Amino acid sequence: MRISFQEELDALERLLHAESELVLRSLRGAVEAVCAQDVELADEVIAFDDDVDAQYFEVEQGIELLLARQTPVASDLRLVLAMLKDNLHLERMGDLCVTIAKLTKLTKGLPPDQTLLDGFREMGERAEQMIRVALRSLEQRDRIAAESLLELDELIDRANRRIVNRLLEMGHEIEQREWGLRMILVSRCLERIGDHAVDIGEQTAYLVTGEFREFTDASH
Amino acid sequence: MTQIGLDPGRANDFTPREPVFQVRDLAVSYSGNLAIRDVTLEVYEKAVTAFIGPSGCGKSTLIRCFDRMNDLVPGAKVEGEVLYHGQDLYAADIDPVEVRRRIGMVFQKPNPFPKSIFDNVAFGPRVLGLKGDLTERVEQALQQAALWDEVKDRLKESALGLSGGQQQRLCIARCLAVEPDVILMDEPASALDPISTTRIEDLMHELKQQYTIVIVTHNMQQAARVADMTAFFSVEVAADGKRTGVLVEYDRTAKIFTTPSDQRTEDYVTGRFG
Repeated sequence: MRISFQEELDALERLLHAESELVLRSLRGAVEAVCAQDVELADEVIAFDDDVDAQYFEVEQGIELLLARQTPVASDLRLVLAMLKDNLHLERMGDLCVTIAKLTKLTKGLPPDQTLLDGFREMGERAEQMIRVALRSLEQRDRIAAESLLELDELIDRANRRIVNRLLEMGHEIEQREWGLRMILVSRCLERIGDHAVDIGEQTAYLVTGEFREFTDASH
Repeated sequence: MTQIGLDPGRANDFTPREPVFQVRDLAVSYSGNLAIRDVTLEVYEKAVTAFIGPSGCGKSTLIRCFDRMNDLVPGAKVEGEVLYHGQDLYAADIDPVEVRRRIGMVFQKPNPFPKSIFDNVAFGPRVLGLKGDLTERVEQALQQAALWDEVKDRLKESALGLSGGQQQRLCIARCLAVEPDVILMDEPASALDPISTTRIEDLMHELKQQYTIVIVTHNMQQAARVADMTAFFSVEVAADGKRTGVLVEYDRTAKIFTTPSDQRTEDYVTGRFG
């Protein structure tokens, strides 16, 4: 029994979960900042990304060391590979939150549209739920829960499409045009966070079944 | 026991060729004690097949069935079938000496004869009266064993003056000099340092272009590195405390080390066994 190896694996998994908590904080901050047009909060989100990145590097280096020293195989190997990819997906989610925060700063003082802001709140909540489901499915090695992310992704995609349609309606209102153009990107960022959550779910399915498979080609 | 029946596999997976050995329901006992039982598997030509498993799982016993080495152990009994290119190796009309010419063996500890390097390699061809130029044959065998460059200027010197790794490659050359079909290796690198081990592993990679190789190893990473197919054996302990080896799983090496089918294999390769 390789006790120290198992402990290292467990510790890495805990780090990954801690990283997801940081990403969730970042996501909540980014959505709140854009909806409240709160530039200070946006700055905080941008600065907070250093914490997410630090956690990302810690997981990355831990995996590098584990691969070099322990040569994991079978389900251990699949777990390490899944964590390696999940780590990158989480870090990307953090980056998307930063993009939302930057767009918030760029649109300071421009007139917003309440329907869109409500849409962002909905997308933010859905993205948060997807991250939780993704991480819980990893923790519990639950393939069914991981696959349910596909349905959740459809909901966030629909919200994204509604936002784009609303923006098209707004196209003729000159003063809202710049705000609207930037907000298309915010919507896109939230939708992409959902895609990363689906990708984490795919890694869980791989970990459990040993089969590489995309849930659907349409998830991107 | 997992019966061999390979799925098509992934795009870059090993594709087996013709079977060289077909083992069916094999059981070996020593003085009535069952060492290994219920083994059914095929060993494929021009590939490396590794037998892994804990001590006492019968992997060395099995490999010794392939060249009828167990015949030399008093009280040993082999049941079941071992076909070599479709021919029953244990049929009454089979000459074990002829079997061992075609199926060479390299052991854990290098065991060169206390003779010159040249005479060690020339020994087999001389005894068997093989035709052709002996010097040429010795050189070719030493070349194939990746030893020629190191010994070509001292062929008349004693083989015992070589390093452990060189001695082992000399034993491989001695085995190759009689033009075998199969090379059996029982822990060929376990007495060697890491660099010599790497050379033996590289050599296996070269040799499998021409020969069928079966290797017993307790170094799992070695099996992962060199083998195309891997068989995992385990030990079953009966109520009376008697221990018998069984074949748990036999599949492509890539499968065994990424997604083994049997929990016992998973536990062993991940180091959670025992």
